[in-house]
Amino acid sequence: MKKTAKLLIASAMTAVLALAGCAQTPSEPIVIGSQAYYSNEIIAEAYALVLEDAGYTVDRQFSLGQRDVYVPALLSGEVDLFPEYTGNLLQYFDATATATAADDVYSALTAALPAGLSALEMSGASDQDSYNVTANFAAQNNLTSIGDLAALTGLKLGGAPELAERPYGPTGLDSFYGVKVEFEATGDATVEALVAGLVNMANVYSADPRIQQLGLVTLADPLGLFLASNVVPIASDAVDQKARDLINKVSQAMTAQDLIAMNVRSVQEQLSPNQIAREWLFSKGLIK
Amino acid sequence: MFSLADLWMWFAEPENWLGRYGLLNLLGEHLAISLSSILLASLLALPLGILIGHLGKGEALVVGLSSISRAIPTMGLLFALVMLLGIVNRELAVTLALAAIAVPPILAGAYSGISTIERSTKVAAIAQGMRPIQLIWHVELPLAASSIIGGLRIAFIQVVSTVVLAPLVGLGGLGFAIIQGLALRDFAQVTAGAIAIVLLTLFGNLVLGMLQQKTRLSTLRQIRAR
Repeated sequence: MKKTAKLLIASAMTAVLALAGCAQTPSEPIVIGSQAYYSNEIIAEAYALVLEDAGYTVDRQFSLGQRDVYVPALLSGEVDLFPEYTGNLLQYFDATATATAADDVYSALTAALPAGLSALEMSGASDQDSYNVTANFAAQNNLTSIGDLAALTGLKLGGAPELAERPYGPTGLDSFYGVKVEFEATGDATVEALVAGLVNMANVYSADPRIQQLGLVTLADPLGLFLASNVVPIASDAVDQKARDLINKVSQAMTAQDLIAMNVRSVQEQLSPNQIAREWLFSKGLIK
Repeated sequence: MFSLADLWMWFAEPENWLGRYGLLNLLGEHLAISLSSILLASLLALPLGILIGHLGKGEALVVGLSSISRAIPTMGLLFALVMLLGIVNRELAVTLALAAIAVPPILAGAYSGISTIERSTKVAAIAQGMRPIQLIWHVELPLAASSIIGGLRIAFIQVVSTVVLAPLVGLGGLGFAIIQGLALRDFAQVTAGAIAIVLLTLFGNLVLGMLQQKTRLSTLRQIRAR
């Protein structure tokens, strides 16, 4: 309920800002949005800091919730810049998309984006769905790849409720790898359910720090069941070329390990997105 | 968005009614979680409320307990209990969290039903030689029955509408249809889940309301007959 309230306030604020910003002036701030997801907020903060460092005025509209809420805001020009993920965004615009490899997904996304929005350079950092098992379970059954599960019976798959219907859910597991599972909607407690043994395998985002912390084993996906989901900045036409170049430098500098390391700092050290992003940008020489 | 036709199609699809996460199974889970929480809350709150009403002592406890438990955010309590008891005991955690919101109305219903009985009625019963247990059983409980059921009615409405949170910790119930539907942008499913919860709440409210009305009337009739 708190989330909804935040969201309402955020959308009300963006609406007011949009009205107030009707007259175009050169000093109009670049509005940067983010999902209500701590890792996404860190990336958005990195964009904001780099632009501010170059003298731009930035308006942070973070924690805007899910795509249903913020994509319309991007399309209407209320938000100018947003950190996104190639695969998940592609599925939003084109539910029938078949590309799964990183480059294919990126070009499919570029084609699928509506007029007025463009995808800047994608980053090597990704945050995508992945199937994970506990180290014990992997050792007992000699598991390294999703296909290794096909030999096992009575498998229970845990994940968010929507996984039941996703193409990479139980149906995809069977058609790609011949793995048969019973689905258990474990919701927000998925990792806990995996560790407690309520399920044998679980869908966890690949940049989730708990994969490292709890020693989970991420199973390889050689057949491309999951869509690659690299971090990609989505910009509206209001973002000028100089700003785009600056953001592209951030994308080039951010590796998958960097993103995980920043997420770990957020979860373990409870640092603010601003501090984490600032220190990372500084270490890469992107801000002074 | 979606149209009424989509909603109709959703209800017409047998697959949406059957199976582990079908509407029927979710409805059963929803009722099971709700009723066990209300039962647990009643075991605690009914005897306590009756006792406090009977003795006329400890009203401060009733007021205190109600205000404390109303100030606790249910969702926070739910997650805290799951962490405390472990994910393996999530059923217990959810039942306890829901029982916590069911206790105040049940307690208040039992307490106020008994404490508002006319003093002369109690004195008359004692004058006839009734022992405290007889006074409670034959006089106070029948006269308070309507108020007690009123408390249960409020508890039922609150609990049934809060079980919707259970899927967040991996349990079922009708909230699953809403939470999954939102993520899949299947608004027909979201609406169908919401309609099911509303109907269940209204139905329970109707049944308990009728029961409340009936006990009130039968008490009145008994009083007139005497």
